[in-house]
Amino acid sequence: MNNVLKYSISNLLSRKGRSFLTILSILIGIAAIVALSSFGLGIKYYMEDIARTMGADKIMIMPKDYATALGESNVEFTERDLDFLKRIKGVDEATGMIVSVGKVKFKDYKEVYPYVTGISTNSKERRLAEEMFVGYGIIEGRTLKKGDVLKATLGYNYLIPNNLFKKPVSLGDKIKINDIEVEVVGFYEEIGNPQDDSNVYLSLEGAKKILGKENYFFILLRAAPDQNVAELGNRIKEKFRKYRDQKEGEEDFFVQTYEEIIETYGSVINIFIGVLVLIALISVFVAAVNIANTMYSSILERTQEIGIMKAIGAKNRFIALMFMFEAGILGLVGGGIGILLGYGIAKVGGIMAASAGLSMLKPAFPLWLITGCLVFAFLVGSFSGLFPAIQASKLKPVDTLRYE
Amino acid sequence: MKFKKIIELVNVWKTYQVGAVEVNALRGINFSVKKGEFVAIQGPSGSGKSTAMHLIGCLDLPTKGKVYLEGKDISCMSESLLAQIRGKKVGFVFQQFNLIQNLTALENVALPMIFQGVNEKERIKKARNLLELVELGDRVNHYPNQLSGGEQQRVAIARALANDPDIILADEPTGNLDSKAGKEIIDILFTLHKKEKKTIVMVTHDNRLAKYAHRIVHIKDGKVIRGE
Repeated sequence: MNNVLKYSISNLLSRKGRSFLTILSILIGIAAIVALSSFGLGIKYYMEDIARTMGADKIMIMPKDYATALGESNVEFTERDLDFLKRIKGVDEATGMIVSVGKVKFKDYKEVYPYVTGISTNSKERRLAEEMFVGYGIIEGRTLKKGDVLKATLGYNYLIPNNLFKKPVSLGDKIKINDIEVEVVGFYEEIGNPQDDSNVYLSLEGAKKILGKENYFFILLRAAPDQNVAELGNRIKEKFRKYRDQKEGEEDFFVQTYEEIIETYGSVINIFIGVLVLIALISVFVAAVNIANTMYSSILERTQEIGIMKAIGAKNRFIALMFMFEAGILGLVGGGIGILLGYGIAKVGGIMAASAGLSMLKPAFPLWLITGCLVFAFLVGSFSGLFPAIQASKLKPVDTLRYE
Repeated sequence: MKFKKIIELVNVWKTYQVGAVEVNALRGINFSVKKGEFVAIQGPSGSGKSTAMHLIGCLDLPTKGKVYLEGKDISCMSESLLAQIRGKKVGFVFQQFNLIQNLTALENVALPMIFQGVNEKERIKKARNLLELVELGDRVNHYPNQLSGGEQQRVAIARALANDPDIILADEPTGNLDSKAGKEIIDILFTLHKKEKKTIVMVTHDNRLAKYAHRIVHIKDGKVIRGE
């Protein structure tokens, strides 16, 4: 075995140019797989991390036409709706959120149009909203408290120059929301996606005044600790439907548990990764064809050598293994370099994404991805070499020496 | 000296299919070689002498008839078994030397021993000794393209001896060499025959070489016409 391997390596080294080109072809495919998968996995881990830190005890009620335009729905929830939901058995806490796109102006800089969200100033209720939407916590200043009407807290991106405005906003600065002046009292930590990091938060009172809205866009619930969240979600849906006097299947609202949301995102991400990896796999397939092609032409060139080896006692198995190893080594080396290249691309991409405010796009390189790609590359190589190898081993020694 | 048959061809036919035409390279050939003999096979080109050589060397199987090697019928053996036998019992010397270009002289000589499972240390030791035997002790790390024709053929002889075979088959061993180098090769083969008691079967059309042989077998049109 050892001898076959040595012999295979010396064969590859004696055809450096062609070996290099063949390696290049598989390298590209593997690099693409590593880079794409590492990003996909990074997003997946990010989501799982959020799910872990935020807990899965939350249920969200939102208008059915939510997807069309956030904050621009025909369905809204009233204070009475919120009271009704609060009283359902198994619901621990409930809070409503007012959401709308607002015009935000700071000094003389060009105005921006982020989401402006009204959240409760009750500390428990505010925490519920923060856990679900807002972020991890305050990085500078303070959260909104009772009596804050013309006060706002801002997303992380307002602290960064040339992001929303040319100059960063500081504590105590005044900004105008829908032409009403408010004071900035705090900033939230970075969430990692530009939309959420551009949000503006007001108290519910402030939102009603500035956005001119009375009703809630979202209602958030926290299940009691002993509750099965999915069952509770179903119960809420049924009770709330009856309360709103709607037929089954014709509700104008959604009830979604946090688990479901994470799952939905998770499966979307999985499909996304799957499609990307599929594209990368095509290039690996092309590489496999290329390896097979290299091996076939190598056999043609080395027909005489195969004959000599057989004449001096090489068994079919030796010849077959020799070609299999050569193909496998091409795969393995290509895979190894491909992984390094993919790693490099993903790292650079991750740094670029982070500097663009997309710190959620952080590539992840679990060990199984690395070893998996390496084994995969070796197998692709060996398998591509399988048929050429069998063909080579079956050559009759006398036919290969016939030129005499 | 009492000779025992080491190779025997009994009514051997070899038919090749060339397109739609069947070509009989051998037509019921009979001949045998005794242990320790030096036999030359002569014949015009296309007479079937190389085909006969391939059958003796277990490189090919007869279409009809039997080939015995040390009394064993090899006509129906599997390719792997044949490979094993030829690796162990037969050493080949070809007209074109047939060395493997990306291996050194030493590695070329050691190669047949790999196929017989000899360990690396022993392989290298033996290959070195064999190269010294053919007076190439100072050329062990040269590649074939760094050696002259005569030197390459000597490497090939060393390789043929690697597994200490009883039979050496030489197919026009001096065909690609000048007369001086050719003479050296013949001397080595003759010494092997004399001192090591190797059985040597040599295909040649050179009458001067044939003189060294005990016996000359003449083949024409796929049949032995003299020397059987």
